[in-house]
Amino acid sequence: MNCYLCDRDMPLQVSWRSIFFNELESVICHRCRSSFEPIAGGCPICSASGDGLCQNCCQWETTEYAGLIDSGKCLYRYNPPMKDFLHQYKFLKDAVLSEVFAAMLKEVLDGQKSIVVPIPMNENKLKERTFSQVDRLLDTASVPYLHLLGKNEVGLGGKSKSERMALEDVFWWNGKPAPEKVLLFDDLYTTGSTMRLAAKVLKENGVKEIKVLALIRA
Amino acid sequence: MKQIEEFLTGRVWLRNFTPFTKEQIDKAVSDGSVSVSPGITDGRQCARCLEKSTKKIVPFFCAACNAICYYCRHCIKMGRISSCTELITWALPSTISPQSHSFHWNGSLTPLQQRASQEVQASLLQKNDHLVYAVCGAGKTELLFPPIFDALKKGKRVCLAAPRTDVVLELTPRLRNVFPNTTIHSLYGNSPEESGFASLVIATTHQLYRFEDAFDVMIVDEADAFPYSYDPALKRAVIKAKKKDAPIVYVSATPSADLLKQVSHTSRIFQRFHGHPLPVPEFRSLWRYDKDFAKGKIPAKLAAWVDEKIQKDEPFLVFFPTIELIEQAIVLFQKKHPGIQAVHSKDEDRKEKVMKLRERKIPGVLTSTILERGITIPNVQVAVVGADQPIFDAAALIQIAGRAGRSIDYPDGSVIFFHNGIVRQMDKAKKLIVSYNRGGAL
Repeated sequence: MNCYLCDRDMPLQVSWRSIFFNELESVICHRCRSSFEPIAGGCPICSASGDGLCQNCCQWETTEYAGLIDSGKCLYRYNPPMKDFLHQYKFLKDAVLSEVFAAMLKEVLDGQKSIVVPIPMNENKLKERTFSQVDRLLDTASVPYLHLLGKNEVGLGGKSKSERMALEDVFWWNGKPAPEKVLLFDDLYTTGSTMRLAAKVLKENGVKEIKVLALIRA
Repeated sequence: MKQIEEFLTGRVWLRNFTPFTKEQIDKAVSDGSVSVSPGITDGRQCARCLEKSTKKIVPFFCAACNAICYYCRHCIKMGRISSCTELITWALPSTISPQSHSFHWNGSLTPLQQRASQEVQASLLQKNDHLVYAVCGAGKTELLFPPIFDALKKGKRVCLAAPRTDVVLELTPRLRNVFPNTTIHSLYGNSPEESGFASLVIATTHQLYRFEDAFDVMIVDEADAFPYSYDPALKRAVIKAKKKDAPIVYVSATPSADLLKQVSHTSRIFQRFHGHPLPVPEFRSLWRYDKDFAKGKIPAKLAAWVDEKIQKDEPFLVFFPTIELIEQAIVLFQKKHPGIQAVHSKDEDRKEKVMKLRERKIPGVLTSTILERGITIPNVQVAVVGADQPIFDAAALIQIAGRAGRSIDYPDGSVIFFHNGIVRQMDKAKKLIVSYNRGGAL
């Protein structure tokens, strides 16, 4: 087959592991794969570079959103190849690209004790985009999840952090019973506003412990 | 309504992405002047780019339809086409009144160009396909001016297509100067929006996906160039974009054997417009050059060649087989001279760097095959590193050699093929160049 991203022909790679462990076949070539930068270490909530809690997360701790998130992780840096990837997946609507990170997400989320809760999409936006890019990442990775939130029609893109913080009613509880532990999942972590707004609604409705996971740290 | 007609005539467009309001389009659809068709046909073929391989037409669960839809990955960069997207086109006979055209050109054609020009015009009249087989620097574009003007005068719609954006960008200002009263659209990825009805469209072959049954004359420049030569979808696009009986003129310095066989009417020009012979490449061994670069060293013979060009103040191009090798080499060359630059297909500053070389602001450029055609730099000296590598086939090597000696003030120029063993494609390229210089006799 050809690489989903650069369209170059990929030699079929069959290994004993692929036969016995039914590993997900890579849909992108080695070269494209290695152009993404996995994040190791960093901030214990958002994986920003440096030791300890990053400046941005420290600042959140001085607001009413303090203490909402117990821990978290972002998997990749938002480098130019990742920007191209997200653009093609989300804005050009190349739905099958959810397969690119399926194996990685499965590995990270398998055996997870918390209930995975995806950041939802507004209904109208969903009709327009034709798929939810966050749900699809989980679907493709065969990770079970539960929607607990709904989203009002406001986009966060293009808004400053203080503007985003002013948006109280972005998410609403959908009424399903609250599990004790939740892992909030999103595609892109930028200022942390989305995660905190969602976490606040979850905690107000009985969730005790919240972890966050995002595919990419912008 | 007139604006919608001008925009949509001969085009297939996404219903939701036009320059018009939803109400305007809805009205045109309901009164029958615009027709609507599904983006993916029942046979699971993309109605825009005609792709039908199951690798490219893929299913997904569509939240808008609450069902499985298919979408086309092949032309997705132009806005996704799925089963539930609608394509629109102008459905009524044209009411666009003919434009008047004028031809402003002071140059003159050599007798060989003149003959080819007349032969192209004759083929167009008889609606025959035609191949212009002319060496690099023969003046192919100029000889097309008279046949294009003749077609425009007769009220025909003409398309000049080329595989690469660089070529479209180079051709557009020239044709706009020559045909100042003609509405000309220049179309490539992310090109600025154009308005009105264009009698002459200059476009990358990719952009032809968006046309159907539009052109009376189709000209394909650089017909052997990647990706046109490689991607069958682009050949289908050329056929789809023209009217059924419209002839195609292919233009190439290095036509494939298939093209030569397929097109029966051919004009050959094996002499440059300035009459000087083509520079013949010289082979120089550069054993295990990759090992040298890996060790952080420029191979001695190559270093000597570059030093000489810098010292004589002659601009130079060095072609490399891979981006990885360019990335290794540029660091070393910049130690020699910090002004030396590297370009490749993904380099957004490519145009500026080539411009700087032309203006002599930098001494030289290291490049991938991306600069093998379409560029003219007076007095440029050319070297190929790894001319034995498969990416440099005979056509590529002929095009690369064709960068040298193009201007009348500097009709010579050195062309060196540095190699790790001479291969057939190198021999073939050299033999062909020598034969052109003898007037085409092998």
